[in-house]
Amino acid sequence: MDINIRKRSEVHVIQLRGQLRMGQAVDGLREAMEETVRSGGLYLVINMAEVPMIDSSGIGLLVKFLASTKGRGGNIKLLNPSKFAIQTLKLVGVLNLFEIFDDESKAVDSFG
Amino acid sequence: MPNEPAFNDASSDFRDLLNVSIPATADDVAKVSDKVAEILVGLGLAEEKQLEIGLALQEALANAVVHGCGNDPSKNVHCQLKSDSQGRLLIIVRDPGPGMDVGPRDTAKLSPNLYQDHGRGIYLIRQLMDDVRFERRGSEIQMWKY
Repeated sequence: MDINIRKRSEVHVIQLRGQLRMGQAVDGLREAMEETVRSGGLYLVINMAEVPMIDSSGIGLLVKFLASTKGRGGNIKLLNPSKFAIQTLKLVGVLNLFEIFDDESKAVDSFG
Repeated sequence: MPNEPAFNDASSDFRDLLNVSIPATADDVAKVSDKVAEILVGLGLAEEKQLEIGLALQEALANAVVHGCGNDPSKNVHCQLKSDSQGRLLIIVRDPGPGMDVGPRDTAKLSPNLYQDHGRGIYLIRQLMDDVRFERRGSEIQMWKY
C-alpha cells in the first residue's frame, strides 16, 4: 500500500492507495498514524478514494485510532471511501462512528 | 492431520480452480488473495461479487494465520477454490490448529463494543457469503457463493 501524508493547517491528510488489509498495508498505516500522533497530530483525514477494499484488520486499526484521538480531543474523518468500503463499514456497524466527506477541503475545514 | 478437506459433495461437479498450501504469513495471504481475485475476474463475475468473495477469503485466511497457526510461518494454511457447472463457488480454508468455538449460526452477532480492534472476521464472512460451514471443530471453513 502507498501512503502519503500532507499537512493542511493543523490537519494531517493521509492518502492511501491499495487494499487496506492485514499485513504490510495495515502495519504501514499503523506506523504512519502512530508517527502522526507522536508529532502531536490530533486531526486526521484519511483519503480512501483509491482503497477498493478494507478488511477487519483495517477496520480495527481505524476504529482503534479513532477512539484514541477522540479521547484526546481530536478526530479521524474519512474522505471518499469506496462504495464497497462503506458497505463493509456498515456491515460491522462502525460506519456511523465516522464522518464521511467527498471533498478534501470540506473535510479539513470541518475540524473548525 | 488428514490431507484431504472435510468437504465431500458427491452429488456436485465441483472442479478445482485453485488448490494451494501456503506458509502462515500475511504476505502469503496477500498472494493467494490476489491470485483468487485474478481468477474471479476471469470468471466474469460482477465486481461487487468479486469484492465480497475476496473480502470473505481474506478474513478466512487471516483467521487461519492468526488463530489457527499463531502467526507461525513454519505452519501451513490450505486454500481451495472450486466451481461447479451451475456457477456456484466454494472456498475452503483449513489450518492445522485445534479449532475454535464458532457458535450456532443464529447467534453470530457482533460484540456490542464497536470500538474493539478485532473480532469482526467471522461475522463479516457470514454476511458476505451465501452459506458458511465449519468442519474439523472449526479449523476448516467452507464458504459458498451462489
